[in-house]
Amino acid sequence: MKDLKHLIRMENLLQQANNELVQEAKEEGRKALGYTCYFMPEVLLDLPGCFSVRLRAPNCTTPVMATYYMSGRTCHYGRSLMERALEGGFNFLDAQMATETCTVTCRFQEHLQRMDIIQNPDFFVEFMDVPFKKTENSLLHYRKQLQAHVLDKLHEKFGIDTSDEALLKAIDQHNEVCRLITEIGNYRKLDIPTITGYEFAVIQLTTLTCPKDKILPMLRETAKELKTRKPDAKPTWKVKLVLAGAENDDPDFTKLIESCGAIVVADRYCYGSLPGREEIVVQEGETPLEAIARHYLMTSCCPRFMPQDIMRARKKYLADVCREYNADGLIVESNKFCEYWSYERTIDALVIPRDFDIPTCSIEKEYINSASGQLRTRFQAFVESVELKKLHKEPAEKEEPTLKEMVESRIEDKVEQIEDHIDDQLVKIESAISDIEEKRHEVKDAIEEKVGQIEDHIDDRLVKVESAISDIEEKRQEVKETIKKRSRRKTRSER
Amino acid sequence: MSEKKSYTRQDVMNKVKSLASDFWNGKPHEERRLGDLYVDKTGLYKHREWRGFKDTMYYFNMIWLYNYGHMISDIMKYGGGLKGPILFARGVWRYRWLGQSYLPVMHWFDRGLEGMRGEGLKASAWHYRAMVSETIRQFMRMLQADQNLGGDPEIWKKTLAHDETVWGGIFYPWRDRMDDVPLQMIPYFVTCHVNNHVVLNYIDAAQSIGLPGDPCPMCQAEAGIFILDDVPDYFPAVVTSNEACDGSVGTSVLQDWMMNKPLFAMPQPMQFDDPLVQEHCAREIEECWKFIEEQTGEKFNCEELVKHLERQNELQRFEWEKWEVAANTDYYPINGVSQALYRIYQSQDGDRDIWHETDARVKKILEKCVENKINSYPLTRHRVIAWSCAPLYYSHWCTWAYNCWGLNCIINMDSLMFDMTIRTDSYENMLQDMALYHEWAPMRRMAVGGMHHIFELWEYMERFHCDMVMMYDQLQCKGMQGVHGLFEDEFRARNIHAIWMPHALPDKRTVSRSEIRSIVNDYMTTIMHEEPLDPTLLEFDDSEGW
Repeated sequence: MKDLKHLIRMENLLQQANNELVQEAKEEGRKALGYTCYFMPEVLLDLPGCFSVRLRAPNCTTPVMATYYMSGRTCHYGRSLMERALEGGFNFLDAQMATETCTVTCRFQEHLQRMDIIQNPDFFVEFMDVPFKKTENSLLHYRKQLQAHVLDKLHEKFGIDTSDEALLKAIDQHNEVCRLITEIGNYRKLDIPTITGYEFAVIQLTTLTCPKDKILPMLRETAKELKTRKPDAKPTWKVKLVLAGAENDDPDFTKLIESCGAIVVADRYCYGSLPGREEIVVQEGETPLEAIARHYLMTSCCPRFMPQDIMRARKKYLADVCREYNADGLIVESNKFCEYWSYERTIDALVIPRDFDIPTCSIEKEYINSASGQLRTRFQAFVESVELKKLHKEPAEKEEPTLKEMVESRIEDKVEQIEDHIDDQLVKIESAISDIEEKRHEVKDAIEEKVGQIEDHIDDRLVKVESAISDIEEKRQEVKETIKKRSRRKTRSER
Repeated sequence: MSEKKSYTRQDVMNKVKSLASDFWNGKPHEERRLGDLYVDKTGLYKHREWRGFKDTMYYFNMIWLYNYGHMISDIMKYGGGLKGPILFARGVWRYRWLGQSYLPVMHWFDRGLEGMRGEGLKASAWHYRAMVSETIRQFMRMLQADQNLGGDPEIWKKTLAHDETVWGGIFYPWRDRMDDVPLQMIPYFVTCHVNNHVVLNYIDAAQSIGLPGDPCPMCQAEAGIFILDDVPDYFPAVVTSNEACDGSVGTSVLQDWMMNKPLFAMPQPMQFDDPLVQEHCAREIEECWKFIEEQTGEKFNCEELVKHLERQNELQRFEWEKWEVAANTDYYPINGVSQALYRIYQSQDGDRDIWHETDARVKKILEKCVENKINSYPLTRHRVIAWSCAPLYYSHWCTWAYNCWGLNCIINMDSLMFDMTIRTDSYENMLQDMALYHEWAPMRRMAVGGMHHIFELWEYMERFHCDMVMMYDQLQCKGMQGVHGLFEDEFRARNIHAIWMPHALPDKRTVSRSEIRSIVNDYMTTIMHEEPLDPTLLEFDDSEGW
């Protein structure tokens, strides 16, 4: 497929947390607010005067200093964030809006609070409590927490306007991002998707890590570009997969899967778009904050929700995503030392194939994985097994075709044959052209070689002639001298 | 030519006196050579320790015989008379945790009470006795209601199950008509202390279905008993909790798929210092009560609730008395392991008769010790505070550490979790306090809600006049591992002697008891430059022991 215009720039934006768009926004005097979890609604951090940055530690493979503080037996993600903070990579932050939603990220944020790591005199960390259920009581609690620990704090510390009007404005901007991401993501539902999982992961991540207003123009253009983007004539993938699981902000992980003969058509993981990029709807009689609280609590599929119905609904949601995106299988990943997802992944690997008949691959990974040969082997094996399953399934699922279908099928076959023939001929012509080109190069090289040889030969001859001339000149001089001497001797004897 | 040693009359007299003293009082601490008593690898004794005439007789009569007798009579008492032993035998046949942990119970006493004398022996043994009795009561209730064994459906209907980290107090309003039994407390938690081999099977079971090895092994074991279908079917509905950590949430989720019964999740807020969370938590408790009413058809009884809360407050007040004595005198008779296990069991279980009976007995001993200035641990070299969560398979390390090195574990973190009484003057106050009490669950109050809680250690060190920290290093606890470096920094900055004790809660395969001893030995010799009180305890192999 043709390259997306902004992809390389977006990839570059993901190389560090303090990227050029973040710097631009800071220069405009806006406050940078860090966060790590979906339960901290980014829309509240994107109020006028501030912007949200979901923290990442790209390319952090060996968090040595963080391992001293948090030991080597905690999640690599939390430690990598700590390492980046200790390196000074988060010094641009004005505040960390924290949640105690999983142990290790909580510990990371507590270190920010306790130690003087962020070199910004105004920096502060504010924690909020997040419920484990989706009841009315939980909703009320969540809303109160957002009011007290996010809105009130932002107003008090930075004078941010947290009125309903400001919230509505932030929701509008947020919804536009969601609409565009959903539109872009929907191309993954096509029979032959016109966007790869990797490309989508990059785009989605930029929306989490850059100021929304600055990334929006690129999103708009990308959405427009995708309307006319043509898929490859022959797909490079064999199966479609959904990637679900724990924290994953590494697009190279998706790339790794896609290099094994699959295409990732849906992203149900932390930092992914499912859920996360649904529009916030302010219902009648609801304040914007109530709508935001309801939206984030109800859409979340986090494994920390404990009620029975929600535990089961999570599995169904995953199966529905697989169906909606026509996926052939599911990969569930969890980061090593992530307790929530270790359990959830284990249960998914048991329940999803059993109850929903979806092939499932369960993977434990590190924060940065691109060089992992073992994972590649696992993915290749899974892709092959899903492909085989698909092939075995296909004949059984076919019904008796109608005449129209048969004709269409014959025509399609014929068209395919012709296309194949044309392709073959094209390949042959291309091959012949390349042969001719090769010959031409060979002849050209031979001529050049010959010319070189002749030139060398002439040079050699010239050198010899010059040498002979100089010899003759020498001889001539000698003869001249001899004649002179003789004439002098003769003159003397005559005297 | 060898010299013949001549004995004077005085020597003979001294020898006789010494033998008589050993017979009557037991050998002095430094001459006991307790390590020589062990049969290699098993931890069993070649012969019993002679503690002096009075204490040996006390141990034989009031600990061995008394407890063996009660272990039979309690089965009948709580199992419906003569049917009890038959039910128990069937339970032993059906559930591996029951059979494997019942017989070694007296060895568990021996391990925890090794080398002890006088009032300390008596007070600590009463704590053990209470725990055994309460354990029997709970598993006999399970067996009576167990549908797997054809138990009584009426009892089944009137028994509620809950995660072991849900405080028993939540069910006080129904204690006059129903009972509540924690799901994992007996099958996994208690049995692990008694026989540390039992739990390994459950951990392996959890990993056999794909769970990685790194989550908290306690949670893995809890999940394992369900995976192996080793939990009696004794309840119509269950209440779960997020306590103490992320792994507990995961276990609750996994359990749910195995149990498939009506479930009420009663998670507790993490940021418990925040006044805003109390209202939310109180409402959760009320919703839980509503759930119980719906599931059982039994009405909430506020009077019953108040009655039990007040009785529980009595338990708490006595605990404070104990702390006072432990903190400010040398006359506290209860050893480290009894203090830790009894307190965590009692505070989590809530109000039960056995705790009151035991406290009444211990109170007398405590008062006697204070009045008569009886020091049960005269060779104490260091007053130790144990922090973070302890190795379940080696909770009796305190007994060993005192016998070997004179390290006296005065108090531990789990004992200090519940540090409050509950007001009963109004419904609102009561509910508010119940919420807070529940938020301060074991392994939780110091671990979540901000780092300042875990660093309360310094205040408690001062309060209990401790000069050394036994810093439990639960290798798979993400919360504690995540704060490791800051503790290192603080210990250095405050110049505190702290021994890091690595372990994996119930899983002895990660760090063995012997490795733990070796770490303590190394610290005491290389850092403290001290000599052991009993060198035979330095190194021995009890790897196959219970």
